[in-house]
Amino acid sequence: MAAVELCLPADVAYVWLARLVVCAAARQSGMSDERVEDLRIAVSEATTNAVTAHRRAGLDQPVVLRFGATEDHTFEVTVVDSGPGFEPVTRASMNGRDWTIEGGLGVTIIRELADDVRFLQADGMRVSMRFAVDLDANRPEPALDGQADLSTRRG
Amino acid sequence: MELTLNHRNEGDKTVLEVGGEVDVYTAPKLREKLVELVGEGLYDVVVDMTKVEFLDSTGLGVLVGGLKRVRSHDGSLALVCNQERILKIFRITGLTKVFPIYDTLDEALQDG
Repeated sequence: MAAVELCLPADVAYVWLARLVVCAAARQSGMSDERVEDLRIAVSEATTNAVTAHRRAGLDQPVVLRFGATEDHTFEVTVVDSGPGFEPVTRASMNGRDWTIEGGLGVTIIRELADDVRFLQADGMRVSMRFAVDLDANRPEPALDGQADLSTRRG
Repeated sequence: MELTLNHRNEGDKTVLEVGGEVDVYTAPKLREKLVELVGEGLYDVVVDMTKVEFLDSTGLGVLVGGLKRVRSHDGSLALVCNQERILKIFRITGLTKVFPIYDTLDEALQDG
């Protein structure tokens, strides 16, 4: 699947649309239902951060999502904004975090859910998330033919 | 996209039933509702998330805000959730240690 680009208005009312479109594409690429749910949350977090950054900075231009499956069975989503950028929290800084702080959990959730994530600060923020597509997860059992070796079938 | 909020009293507790998607767009409505309940002197709240279809960190933040609010009145905020995909983000963020989380509403109402 070629990469698709979605220009999303920098308005919190459209974050659901990013979730819907990206997850539909991921499902089409063969991603398992369970991983699609992880992707749904990660996309929501990254898009929320991007849209919120534009709102705070008073930027009218859209945020951009680029997504698609790559040849190595990976689904990649990049969320690009033109905001001031931020220093992503590290796993270590989450230890002993004060639970009363409302916010700042999005990056932690993305780190935990994605197989890989890169935060790049360059003329705004660029968050690239990768999810492996396990093509066997949703595949129906192959029909048995005379040549099938039962010992190697996935069960 | 929809968020439904309905509350009722069950004994000395208030059950807030949340349904639909809680994200950056809809979360302010949930925040307002929690503020409203505390404003009415209802400090022991059970948020029933059985019908929540989606929740991300914005929703977590609102629930944390609600918990702080009721605690400042010596109240409580418990959650009802039996959906693995939602429980997962509570675990990731360490919030399973902060909120009492029950599988069913009955358990939440019987406890504490």
